[in-house]
Amino acid sequence: MVLEVKQPRPMWEILFSTHHTDIGLLYMITSITALMMGGALALALRAELFLPGLQIMPDPTSFNRFFTVHGTTMLFLWAIPFAAGVGNYLIPLMVRYKDMAWPKLNAVAFWMIPVGAALVWLGFSDTGWTAYPPYSIIRAPGPAAEMWIFGLKILGISSILGSINFIVTILKCRHPDLSIMKMSLFAWSILSISFMTIVAVPTFAASLIMLYTDRLGISGFFNPAMGGDPIAYQHLFWFTFHPEVYIFLLPAVGMLYEIIPKFSRKPLFSYQSGVAAFVLLALIGFASWAHHMFATGMSFTEKTVFMVGTLAAVPASSMHVFNWIATMWGGRIKFGAPMLFGVGGIMLFFASGAGGVVNTALPLDFITHDSYWVVGHFHLILMGTVSLTFTGFIYYLFPLITGRMYNERAAQVHFVLAFVGVIFVFMTQHLLGLHGMPRRIADYDGTIPGWLIMNQIATIGAWVAGLSYVIMLVNLIKSAGSGKEADVKDPFQIGEEYYDYTRREPHH
Amino acid sequence: MGHATIEWVYVGVVIALLTWVGAESWNVERLVEHVPAEAETIKVIGQQWFWTFEHEDGKKETGQLHVKQGVPYKFELVSKDVIHDFNVPDYTILMDAVPGRVNVVWNLFDQPGEFRIQCREYCGFGHSTMKAKLFVEPQTAEAAAEGQNATAQAPAQAPVQSAGPPGMPLTILEGASVQGSPDFDPDTITVKKGDKITVTNKDTLPHTVTSGTGPTDPNNAKQFDTSIIEAGATADIQTTNLNPGQYPFYCTVHPYMTGKLIVQ
Repeated sequence: MVLEVKQPRPMWEILFSTHHTDIGLLYMITSITALMMGGALALALRAELFLPGLQIMPDPTSFNRFFTVHGTTMLFLWAIPFAAGVGNYLIPLMVRYKDMAWPKLNAVAFWMIPVGAALVWLGFSDTGWTAYPPYSIIRAPGPAAEMWIFGLKILGISSILGSINFIVTILKCRHPDLSIMKMSLFAWSILSISFMTIVAVPTFAASLIMLYTDRLGISGFFNPAMGGDPIAYQHLFWFTFHPEVYIFLLPAVGMLYEIIPKFSRKPLFSYQSGVAAFVLLALIGFASWAHHMFATGMSFTEKTVFMVGTLAAVPASSMHVFNWIATMWGGRIKFGAPMLFGVGGIMLFFASGAGGVVNTALPLDFITHDSYWVVGHFHLILMGTVSLTFTGFIYYLFPLITGRMYNERAAQVHFVLAFVGVIFVFMTQHLLGLHGMPRRIADYDGTIPGWLIMNQIATIGAWVAGLSYVIMLVNLIKSAGSGKEADVKDPFQIGEEYYDYTRREPHH
Repeated sequence: MGHATIEWVYVGVVIALLTWVGAESWNVERLVEHVPAEAETIKVIGQQWFWTFEHEDGKKETGQLHVKQGVPYKFELVSKDVIHDFNVPDYTILMDAVPGRVNVVWNLFDQPGEFRIQCREYCGFGHSTMKAKLFVEPQTAEAAAEGQNATAQAPAQAPVQSAGPPGMPLTILEGASVQGSPDFDPDTITVKKGDKITVTNKDTLPHTVTSGTGPTDPNNAKQFDTSIIEAGATADIQTTNLNPGQYPFYCTVHPYMTGKLIVQ
């Protein structure tokens, strides 16, 4: 069940397998592919913004299509499938069960992802990943918008099926000797996001159908010309997608709980506080959705309620950060690549969390809303924290999956370039937002003080980060075939227990 | 647990900070949102991809807004098609214009000058070009003289309304605002130097006929510009000052609408 790549097997055996490690591997390969494709779109977008005017894109619609597919790809084809892939690989190991609860359902959930991805990519819609009506109903060109709707529909069903599988595996298939309060915190994070997915995603699934019938003209839920209300869509959308932010984030938090204590050679500071923070975030994550909509004309009371709901999520997040810092405190830290990415992720998590407090403070929201500040803010969490931590975890799992070590020097160069790149892009975008640059514009006025130079810094940063991921790709592909054999008991030489290789479950 | 105390202290400090941020924000927002009773109302209409402003006295402006320094204004935001967002970054005015709703935001302009108005909510093809100019006219007599100079430098955009006998016909076809549909009829219009062109807008949306290849052309609107032609209206283009040659033109509202003028 481990050392997947080391034992050569025919391709079809992996593709048609229902075994959790095979599915996990497929999930991870798919999501890393999506990361590269979505990243390529981002680099094209940044290259376009290097200079005012249109140089690369033939018209603004192409730019709009690029950022729509970039966002959709990174969120639904990278962040969610990667977490599901690691979950598939590790959850059965962590709860000591032979496989996921329903292996065939697991394979079905995975194979829906390439279908959804194909719809999104072949359609190349221009609605923005939020697909706000009435634009998405009355103006967005079809069939791209329809394909986007059905693609997202399929991806949503896939993540619900995956979540059901995780919940049953963790709650029902856990080894009788393993109490839930002894289970690893990564398993807790997957359990939390699975429950959140099941509560949150059906709302968006329903609004996608409503969006589709609105586009057909047979209903007018969100079409003001037919008596509907576009703001209703925003409520439904963010009821799903604010919790979804935590669904992206919590697996990364769980991975940090795997990495930090091991590389600090110290036990975790407080297990209970980690569990408490997961449960709190999973609950409070549902109390803040409308903070994305302060500028849509909400009443003062509504705004106050959602500001309080948003601020309430901060103590739980800061409990995680405290836990990591307290764990590292006084530890004999080994800065292997996974630890570097983890510590970088924590630093940027702190920065983006502080930015989030600024966003939710009511008067300040009207400075930052829909500006590049927001772009910088959510990329700092999704790229800076989530993706960097996921990347660290790719390196961390690499010996488990392949039985070989990656090139440590190249991985460290990757970290430095990625971290510096991320700071250059997204910190600069925060400032751009304060200088009033709106998001999602294909062209900008280079004579406005600061805009040109800041856009150019951001573009260079993006290309540095892009380059660093090419280094990773080469490193992984080369090392998988010809890397140094890993010491499977302790591949990172830290004297801490790695995952258990001795249990081998037959493929079925 | 022995070491739980420090964590409780830490969480307490975080909660105290957040409470302070929340209370302060609540208080400031409460004061900022209160619209003064004497505020003058300006109706702001957003549509793909330009802004129209209607003053209380019935005066209408397109693409620019003139206000007075030191007078509170209440903006009533509406949209004719998709969601837009009325934004003056220098004055932190920001509110969505949502079709089917009227949103209100107010401001008192304390500094005279020229500021930019932009759309901050994604609205399609022309989102990045959906801009307007805000002119804050000074209150004092001395400052007024300066302001006169400032506004004089702004390009005169008085629409050339059709007068006298109609010239060469150029028609903006119905449905021209949809990208890919036929827009100008004829697409290439050939005139003799000195001929007048009469543009008729048969579409249901406003359009312009503006020289240049598009909004990124540094020489756009240098040769001729009809400015906004409302639906059903006409405007004239004079070619007396144009040298023989080819002049591409486009619609500033829908930059994918392009055509060519050949002066012989």
